[in-house]
Amino acid sequence: MDPSEVEFLAEKEIVKIIPNFSLDKIYLIGGDLGPFNPGLQVDVPVWLALNLKQRQKCRIVPPEWMDVDKLEEMRDLERREDAFTPVPSPYYMELTKLLLNYASDNIPKADEIRTLVKDIWDTRIAKLRLSADSFISQMEAHAKLDNLTLMEINTIRSFLLDSLNCMYKLRSNLQPGSSKGQLTDY
Amino acid sequence: MDTQSYLPVQPGVGMEENFLSLDDILLSHERLPARTECTFPRLGFLEKTTDSQDITEGTKMELPLWLSKGLYERKRRVLSVELPKVYREGWRTIFKADPNVVDLHKMGPYYYGLGSQMLHFDSPENPEIAQTLLQTFIGRFRRIMDSSQNAYNEDTSVLVEHLDCLEKTLFRSGQSGLNSFQSWEKGQASQLTASSLVLNYRKRKMTDIQP
Repeated sequence: MDPSEVEFLAEKEIVKIIPNFSLDKIYLIGGDLGPFNPGLQVDVPVWLALNLKQRQKCRIVPPEWMDVDKLEEMRDLERREDAFTPVPSPYYMELTKLLLNYASDNIPKADEIRTLVKDIWDTRIAKLRLSADSFISQMEAHAKLDNLTLMEINTIRSFLLDSLNCMYKLRSNLQPGSSKGQLTDY
Repeated sequence: MDTQSYLPVQPGVGMEENFLSLDDILLSHERLPARTECTFPRLGFLEKTTDSQDITEGTKMELPLWLSKGLYERKRRVLSVELPKVYREGWRTIFKADPNVVDLHKMGPYYYGLGSQMLHFDSPENPEIAQTLLQTFIGRFRRIMDSSQNAYNEDTSVLVEHLDCLEKTLFRSGQSGLNSFQSWEKGQASQLTASSLVLNYRKRKMTDIQP
């Protein structure tokens, strides 16, 4: 999977916007949106919010978790715990990048938030690598990926899958006769 | 994203080989020390050291893996294959002590592949060989993972220098994960680019087409 595909999925998340135009309810396959009234908050998916924002037709209300105090608390917790802590949103990294890139004027202390989210990400990736290593060295067969987001899994997926494939084959060497039956005669 | 003009077939790694894998084809040309257990009549011209017509019993020679695999049989002893020295007791101790210090590219470069293939020849040391291969892989895993996930935008030739061919493919898949994430983060992923395949097309000249 490509990161841009993960980003595409993240664009389905709902954010609040304050529009500055009025429009009746619009009926889309994915659900009904609106009605839009100037100054009244309304829930829309991220893709629409960004589109309206780029045309300067709305103000984006940042999600609750996108706040310096909350993120600092989360970062400290993430550093303290050995296991992965629950994340505020399954697409926290993607949303931060999208909203900060296109609507940084609507989000207070955008730069600090960017740094904090990057810190949380780095801590989690380091943990992910650590657990992947212990997964391999203890030759486990399955693992539970609690609280991991799609983007995090995606960065390590191809590497981990290839390594597990190799390890499986090297392990099946240990049982003599298991693959000898398939030996083809050239 | 890198698009390739063909998808390489992955090596089989284990005891079986992938017929279409380039790595496995190269692997099958690795030379193994072997000793003939019977006379090969009229094949003396292959062995340059003697003038006799036949290859006599007990001649020591190096045979490629594909040939020794074909000639080796458990019941009729045609030839016996010795272990290359990386898989022998002495080297196994080194691998047990610290797999990270060994230059597997120099020792291999198909350390895992050849090691698994050696299990075809019934040697009493087979279980130990298989165990060492697995432990070596596990021991070296962390370093490959860390180096492949952290080396962004730098020369990786020093990092892959000591890696076996199998580990190099792993390194590359780790790098592709890192690179695609970084290019997304920098916003390059949203720019549309021409496929490298299309870029490589040259405009055909009239003279090439006409006979």
